[in-house]
Amino acid sequence: MKFKETDIINVVIAGTAGQGVISLKRLIEFAAQKAGVDIILGAEQHGLAQREGAIISHTRYQKKATDDPKKNLNSSLICYGDADLYICIEPVESLRRGIFASNKTTFVLNERTIPPILITADLDQYPSLEKIKEILKGYTEEVYTMNATELSLKEFNRNQQVNIIMLGFAIPTGKIPFIDIKHYEEVIKEWLRDPDDNIRALHLGIEKGNKIIKKN
Amino acid sequence: MPIKDTRFSDEKGKVLMLGNEAVVRGCLEAGVSYASQYPGTPTSDIGEYFHQILRENPEAKEYLVHHWAVNEAVATSACAGAAWTGCRSLNPMKHVGLNVASDALSVIALNGPNPGAMVILVGADPGSLGSHQEQNERFYTWMLHLPCFEPHTPQECKDFTKLAFELSEKYDTVFEVRTSTRSAHSRGYVELGPIKRGKAKGEFIRNIPKFNSLPPHAINNHVRLYERIEKIREIILELGVNKIIPGENKIGIITSGMPFGYTMEALDQLGLDDVPVLKLGMIYPLNYEEISNFLNSLEKVIIIEELEPFLEVKVSEIAHHNKLNVQMIGQEYFPKYNEYSTGLIATSLAKIFDKTPSEQMTNAIEYFNSYKEIVPARFPTFCAGCPERATLYSILKATNQLENTVICGDIGCYVMSFFPPQECSDLVICMSGGISAAIGMSTKSDQKIVAMIGDSTFFHTGMAPLAEAVGYNSNVLLIIFENSWTAMTGHQDDVLRYLINRGFSIENICKALGVPWLRIEDSYNPKKLTKSIEEALQEKGLKVIILKRECGLQAHRWRMSQIRDLEAQGQKVQEITYYISGCQVCHECSRILSCPAIRRTEIDGRETMQIDEDRCIRCGVCYQICPNGAIHKSVIHALATEVPFREI
Ligand SMILES: Cc1ncc(C[n+]2csc(CCOP(=O)(O)OP(=O)(O)O)c2C)c(N)n1
Ligand code: SF4
Ligand code: SF4
Repeated sequence: MKFKETDIINVVIAGTAGQGVISLKRLIEFAAQKAGVDIILGAEQHGLAQREGAIISHTRYQKKATDDPKKNLNSSLICYGDADLYICIEPVESLRRGIFASNKTTFVLNERTIPPILITADLDQYPSLEKIKEILKGYTEEVYTMNATELSLKEFNRNQQVNIIMLGFAIPTGKIPFIDIKHYEEVIKEWLRDPDDNIRALHLGIEKGNKIIKKN
Repeated sequence: MPIKDTRFSDEKGKVLMLGNEAVVRGCLEAGVSYASQYPGTPTSDIGEYFHQILRENPEAKEYLVHHWAVNEAVATSACAGAAWTGCRSLNPMKHVGLNVASDALSVIALNGPNPGAMVILVGADPGSLGSHQEQNERFYTWMLHLPCFEPHTPQECKDFTKLAFELSEKYDTVFEVRTSTRSAHSRGYVELGPIKRGKAKGEFIRNIPKFNSLPPHAINNHVRLYERIEKIREIILELGVNKIIPGENKIGIITSGMPFGYTMEALDQLGLDDVPVLKLGMIYPLNYEEISNFLNSLEKVIIIEELEPFLEVKVSEIAHHNKLNVQMIGQEYFPKYNEYSTGLIATSLAKIFDKTPSEQMTNAIEYFNSYKEIVPARFPTFCAGCPERATLYSILKATNQLENTVICGDIGCYVMSFFPPQECSDLVICMSGGISAAIGMSTKSDQKIVAMIGDSTFFHTGMAPLAEAVGYNSNVLLIIFENSWTAMTGHQDDVLRYLINRGFSIENICKALGVPWLRIEDSYNPKKLTKSIEEALQEKGLKVIILKRECGLQAHRWRMSQIRDLEAQGQKVQEITYYISGCQVCHECSRILSCPAIRRTEIDGRETMQIDEDRCIRCGVCYQICPNGAIHKSVIHALATEVPFREI
């Protein structure tokens, strides 16, 4: 799909507390600024952030504003069905936030699950990854998964790079248009701790994405 | 993530900011020199930005003061005090904070903030996204005569804050800027303006009629307040804060704040390009002429606002007075509860205008509804190793799973007690509502009544009901979580810390109040704590158990930093791990304690619990309570330096 510069781009990032959902949102927004995007407006969730809860953020931007205020990006929240891309750092969170998806959506999922406490207590059920994918395929064929947690642990000996790997993995979908890899790299260098690791993580994600996403 | 910070520096240009950051920027551009607040979502981070500014630019300390107050009423009066010396003060609070502050504010609004200026920043929370209730606190703006701006974008957050200070000073009136959970935490571009240094010093000048709103001055000040509001009403058009998106349709829309954005996108979705929209930047007072002119060209008007109908009442009032023949429609399609969304507004407008919402949206809702039941709940819960969770375990054990027991909950992390699987809270009212309800309940019920409270809440409003419980010797067990932090709102470096640094002790306060039965216990010693609770519940009258144990999250952070420092110095440190072997899956640790660092898994085809090493903070509680002795402790380098949690 080819985007026009006046199109509004909608990205949902979903995960659980502590997975870097908000950091990832900021990274995309600040990279969009570097790319000279006219309008950026996105909502993030604060409060209760550390307590194992489900986290979602909305990233929205429009490369070129139009002269008609009614056609421009006006709200920081995405409308139901209007997401172009889902980046899900925890698989079942894609379903929890599924209302923003439709047949135009592409999903990228990290395969590592974080079971809520009622699953451990055997008082609730966590759907299998196959089941989650099957439901998402009801929207679109464009459902891509990878185990970013495993890759992060293997390459960096910690799981901090999972969100950046997932961003890299999402880039080859073409659903975050008008932002170049160099813009992300600049933002990472300017503000993230361990910039070298994070840039490497970004490229590991892109590499993985290029393989899987081309194959489909 | 540490940000190279242009948000609060003297640089020029366009910066991406959250609504709350933009509010603080607006304060800097307005020359604010005092801010005081009690934390509360969605306004807590405002104080954190002030602290960041003071940390990073020590010279700002010469003129800028930020206080974390003990409660909202104190903060509001403190802001008035600073304004009355001629300074500009900001007073942020969450929506329910305004309930607490309203007593003070009702008088301060009468008196007026001159010679300085005062702005209250209220973070509304439609949808109760970070609160224990939702309410439309906009009615206070009318009741107390607080002219109120409602920003939609971060740019407006900055512009309106700055403007509010100018007008507050000019019209001797307390102004309000009303954000919401959504506008406070939406990020967008903000054009920076020059920063103005706030006043370092001021002086209070005696003016008995102005500052003593008692008879005979009470009525005069009320009259003066009306005069000021009328003057402000007259100049609203000049301010340029309201705007009209023109259109020829005979049905128009009046809205404000976040719903404006949803409305615009909904109109676009429905192809309703000709519907005129009046966006109010100022929601109180309203300019009669402006509203009448907008209504005059219409046959029907739809008011789109979250929660109870405030604008609807105010606009109807104007239509009625001016005998305008305009019909107010659509109320039945807009719920008076929960937050709005583009989807909700599009669905409602589609009904009103007889349009079809986009298929993309209706399909999305329908498909989502077809599978949402299989999504497992993921509510917020106590951190791994939280002492509050461990305490609930002891309460559940001591009361035989709450047999004949009522738990009066309260507001802090322990507000999460009601969630399954522990379900260890029967009621929550407001800060300090738990102990207060327990006092009344204990006069009527013979059940075992347990109330819970945290240390920040104890300071906020908890000491007063405790004194009353001592006075009546209420038959209540009060559990005080002395975790040394205001944890729920994000561990602000608040007044609690200053008090602790000065040797503050809840124990001494309880003794001074004359609490008849008092024990200090440790949540990380669950068996002893359980016994203490059992004993307390056998006694009649007031019992207090203080749990002195630092918030697990902060304790873990501190301990890890100690370990890092020691290792950097080349010292060897004891390595403790807890692991599970021989698990009988009895669910003691997962259902009664339910630490999230424990997960159920399969090893070699056998079901077992397992501890996630990277999430476990080594509190040792599960190890002490496992009835099968299946949780084990291993210590590597046993002879090396031990790094225990710190005492508080
Ligand atoms: C009137 C009011 N002000 C502020 C809040 C926001 N708030 C909720 S919990 C909390 C902190 C409670 O701290 P504490 O009692 O020490 O409990 P902890 O979270 O540390 O367990 C605050 C400030 C509120 N709910 N009501
Ligand atoms: S922040 Fe502290 S008090 Fe709150 S749940 Fe976590 S460990 Fe417990
Ligand atoms: S020791 Fe047990 S209860 Fe404590 S944090 Fe670790 S797993 Fe949780």
